[in-house]
Parts: sequence; structure tokens; C-alpha cells
Amino acid sequence: MSRDYPLGTIRTEQVWKRFRADQQRMLLRDRVEQAARRLRGDRGEDWRWALRDINLHIEPGESVGLIGSNGSGKSTLLKMLTRVMYPYAGIIDVRGRIGALIEIRAGIHPDLTGRENIYLFGALLGLKRREVAGRFDDIVEFARLGGAIDRQVKFYSSGMQMRLGFAVAAYLEPHVLLVDEVLAVGDAVFQQRCLDRMREVAEQGTTIVFVSHDLPAVQSICRRGVWLEQGTVRVDAGIKDALAGYRDSIEAQSEATARVGEPLSLLTYEVRGETGEETLHTDEPVTVELTLGGDYRGDATLHLGVSEGTSSPIFQISHEIRMTGGDHRVACVIPRLPLPRGRYTLWAGVYSIGKTDGGTLMSWHSAGQFDVFGPMLDTPPRAVVLAAPVFVPHQWEE
Amino acid sequence: MGGQRAQVIDERGGRPAPPGVAIPAGPPPELVFKRRLRPLQVAHELWAARELVRALAERDLRARYKQAVLGFAWAVLTPLALCAIFTLVFHRAVKIETGAAPYTLFAYVGLIVWQFFSNTMNQGALSLANNLSLLNKVYCPREVFPLATMLVATVDMAIGIGVLGLMFLVFWTAPAATFLWAVPLLLIQFAFTYGIALILSVAVVYLRDVRHLLPIITQMGVFATPVAYPLAKIPHRLQEIYVGLNPLGAVIEGYRKALLYGEAPDGRMTLIAAASSLVFLVGGYLFFKKLETGIADVA
Repeated sequence: MSRDYPLGTIRTEQVWKRFRADQQRMLLRDRVEQAARRLRGDRGEDWRWALRDINLHIEPGESVGLIGSNGSGKSTLLKMLTRVMYPYAGIIDVRGRIGALIEIRAGIHPDLTGRENIYLFGALLGLKRREVAGRFDDIVEFARLGGAIDRQVKFYSSGMQMRLGFAVAAYLEPHVLLVDEVLAVGDAVFQQRCLDRMREVAEQGTTIVFVSHDLPAVQSICRRGVWLEQGTVRVDAGIKDALAGYRDSIEAQSEATARVGEPLSLLTYEVRGETGEETLHTDEPVTVELTLGGDYRGDATLHLGVSEGTSSPIFQISHEIRMTGGDHRVACVIPRLPLPRGRYTLWAGVYSIGKTDGGTLMSWHSAGQFDVFGPMLDTPPRAVVLAAPVFVPHQWEE
Repeated sequence: MGGQRAQVIDERGGRPAPPGVAIPAGPPPELVFKRRLRPLQVAHELWAARELVRALAERDLRARYKQAVLGFAWAVLTPLALCAIFTLVFHRAVKIETGAAPYTLFAYVGLIVWQFFSNTMNQGALSLANNLSLLNKVYCPREVFPLATMLVATVDMAIGIGVLGLMFLVFWTAPAATFLWAVPLLLIQFAFTYGIALILSVAVVYLRDVRHLLPIITQMGVFATPVAYPLAKIPHRLQEIYVGLNPLGAVIEGYRKALLYGEAPDGRMTLIAAASSLVFLVGGYLFFKKLETGIADVA
């Protein structure tokens, strides 16, 4: 129990957290009613579990991605790790100094200058003035503030404020760095530099817990993935497995919401390789065959698309078809499949042409998934955040 | 598909909980979180946060005077203005008797204490509510926020004491040699004021109504406390109860005796005030620490 864990260890044991589900505007009348109920012995409280039985053990230097849909408890867990929020039950033990990048501009005071803000933020994270002074130049350099450092922060552009916020937290050399969805703001260059800085910090042995819906970014930083679902740990494994499981579940959900009541529907689909075999191979011919059904008559545009997971589109093609009120079979041949090894989602949608131009006959939805066998893509350099998904046949010469 | 992957057993010690595997309906009762306060640990944490208190106070001071032309002069203008009004109303019109000491000095000593208290109370009460965005992101011992506002008020008070020195020159009297009594009185004043600020700051987070009480307390307090008049104006048999409820009464009276009349403060009253302010401080601190755990949940 009182084992001495090294700095940078994060440990949670049977952590539970609940929130009031009945928390609304409490007017005086409501309070009186509540007091009356309480007198009658009825507590009248309605609680909802936000986290249930969370057991995690994260070693110093590990980088963990926390994934899950909205409301799954990611931010609540992170808040409890920063000790801002207290659990209802269980043990939380985080060793060492915690740097939290939860909301980039939190703690920046608009009336103070950039310099004053840096010292204030350092003090908030438990640093001595001297320690902040030692890192001051790095922070200003990273934030690209230059001469603006002695200007009041309210005169900064929001980009400058954000850069200041990230730079301060990222250069404190904490033992544990908690990052919550901060990269959603800021331009691409800034995001890139933030991710680079996080990788650098991870290499120096800082424990990182990264919460984001940007799954490729999570994958590029983290080695381990924890997938939270409805307040419980669904998967705790290598980042690849966790992400794959999470993506599958999103896909299963979006397939489950079937389109009903539309003029056309997709009856069958098949993605097959050369000579009709089931397995698909990179850089070889592929045939996609669909059967559409419904009583619509007339011209329409059929769109087909392929994405990696559900969110990163790779390519999209379309074709005009004429529906005659019955089942309609259409096939498309791709002579050389440009996809590397992996699992992909096929998308389809049909829209009308003519009088009701662009009317939805069958809305754009994921039809299903298929696997491709073939070479893995070469590992990109560290600076590449989102790996390019296309396989290009090539030859090297020297 | 997900079900198959959920079976992956993590080699690092994390425990996967695939859907369907029973998660108990509630946590084991022995693990339910209880706030335990270890005085040594609390004191150590507060000591470690001393830089933060300074930085927060500095932030407030700088931010307050960034666009104010008169700057720190405002710290003395309010008590001086009140002092002038009190001299007119209570000295000239109501004719309060202050013995050997000039009424203006008499009232000013009371006003310095009152100003300190009302500044800390008003700013301290809002210190958590105004910093919620910070409180929800960064951990630090939360009591530093009201403490920083008290530090700001202390700076203002120090300026006010400087002006008091000037006033001694103007009235061509010297503070009595008994002025060292001011030190224990100052401690009582700090303890009581911080206790009140702690209680109000956390109460405001839970109950926004408290915010609207503040101006009322401030308005009534300045007359309910012996600022403009001596403590002796309060009926003698009620004085002990009064000082128990409002230690500032004994503190102000003590300062006047020590600085203006060259007497030691009344021992009995001072002891009652000391005991009372200690109760306010400890009680306020426990109240604060008890409710502190829920701040992030309600805010």
C-alpha cells in the first residue's frame, strides 16, 4: 500500500466518481421543497456515475492516450489526476510535479504582461521564481512572442495567447504532463510544434496522458491506449489495439443507425479482388459491386468513397446511373488499388439529377468494411503528424 | 470485432474490463473518499505555496493599478475620505468625546482596521469565484486565494499606516510608547479576518446569494463596529458578548489605547477577542477544507 513509487508514476485504484443528475437551477422554492422532502426521510437525490471502477497503473515515461466518445469520462478522469476534482471513492496517486494543459488560456490574466503571466503561471505550477527565470528564454522562443513579452496580454492576438499558454506549461519539465484536447485550437504549424514538443518531453522521461479526439495525433504520441466507455475502461492495451477497437465501435454504431424511409437503399455490396477471390491486395485490381433497390425512377448520381477508419477520407468517385424502379446492379473496377495494408470503410450515397437536383435518394453512409493485404507503409519521419494513407508503387535507384 | 480486441490483456498491469464482465454497482464502502486533514501536511503545503500567494497578490495589485492614473494613492483616498466625513458628522455634529486624542486620528485608526477587514472580506469572498477557470485546471491549496487577497489588503494597510505617521506629524503628537501592543492585536485582526474570508469565499461558490450579502455586511459593519465611536458606547454588560462576536471591536479599541492614549489594551477584552478569532480561524479553515473538495463539481 505505502510502496514508494518513483516520480512520474500514476496509479488509480478502484476510482469512482459521481455527479448529481438532478442539478438544475435551484430556486428558493426548489430548496424549500427539497428540505421538506428531506424531513420526510426521502433524500430525493439522483446520482449518475461518471466513472466506475477505474484501475490504471502508468509507469514513469509512459505515454498513454485516453480515448472515448463524448461523456465517457475522459476529462473527469484527467481532472482527478490533476487533483482539481476529488473522487467519490478509491485511491489516486500521482507522483511528482504535474503539468496540466487542460485549457490553454486558463490562468492567463489579461491585464498583466506576458512576462508577468509567465511568472504567475510558474508559481501556480509550484515553481520558484529562479526556476522560471531559467526557462524564460525557451518559453519566449517557443511562443514566438519576441518584443510583445512586455505588453499586456489583452492586446495579444488569440494565437499569441495560446502560444504563450502552451509554451509555459510545456517548458516546465513536469514529471507528469496531462494534455486535454488543446490541439483542437491553433493553426497547423502550431499543432505540429506542440506535438513535437510533447514527443520531446516524452523522450526525456516525462509521463504523458493525452486526451484527444484527433486519433492520428494520439497514435503519433502514445504507445498505450486506454479506451473509456460510459465511465469504465473498455480496453487498456497498446495504442493500435485500443484505437482499432474504438474505431470499430464507432463504425458499428454508425451502421446501426440505419436509414429508413429513403427512396433507395443499398441491398448488397461486395468488394472482391482479382478473379473473384475474397482477399484484396495492394496495387492489384479490385471490383466493387452494389445492388440498389427502391421504387425511384430516373437519373441519379451514385457516389462511392473509401476512408481509413471512419474519419479520414482517402478517395471518392461518382457515376451517373438510371434507376428503373427495380433492383439495380452496378459494378466499378479499380485496376490498381492504391491502399496499403489495413482496414477500410466503404461509403455510398445516391443523389438525384434533373428536376429535383441534388435531392437525397440514399444519404451518404458507411456501407461496411473491408481488409486489404499488402505491404505496410514506410514509417514517416517524426515530424509527420498524420501519415499519408496511399500506397504508391515505386522503385529506388542509387 | 471490439469484443475480440477487448480481451487483450495488458502486460503493464492495467486491468481491462470488457463489457459484460461485472462491474459492481457501487464502490466498496471502505474505499469511499473521506477528507483527512493532517495539520503538518497542510502547513507544509501552504508553506510551499508561499511564492504563489505572493504572485497572486502581485497579480491583483498590478492588475488593479494598471490603468488607474492615481495608482496606489487610491489605497489611502478611501479611508481619508471616510475619515473626513466621520470628523464632520460624528465629531462636529454628534460630538463624540475622544479625550486627549484628536478625533480625526481616533477615527482614522478605526478606519484603517475596518478598511483592511472590508477589503479582505469583499475581495476574499469572491477570490474563488473569480478564479474558477483557474481552479478547474490547476491544483494548488485553495486557501491561497483568500490569503492572497488578505496580502493585498495588508499592502493597502501598510500605506494607510504610513499616512497615519504623517497625520501624527500634522497633529504634532507622537504615538505612545505602548505601541508595541499593536503586534498581538495585529495577529488577532489577521486571524479573524482570514477566518471570515475563508468561510465567505467557499460559501459564494456554492451559494451565489452570498455575493449580494456582502455590500449589506460592509454598510452595516462600519457602523456596528466601533470605528466612529469608542467601544464604551456599547452597553457595559453586553461588551463581552459583543467582542466575542466581533473581535474587531476590541482590536480597534486596543490600538487606540496603545497608540493614542499610552495605555495597555484591556486584558480581558483582548483575551476574549483572541479566543474568538481563533475559533473563527480554525472553524473557517475546517469549513473551507470540508467544502473545498466539491468546488470542481459545482462550479
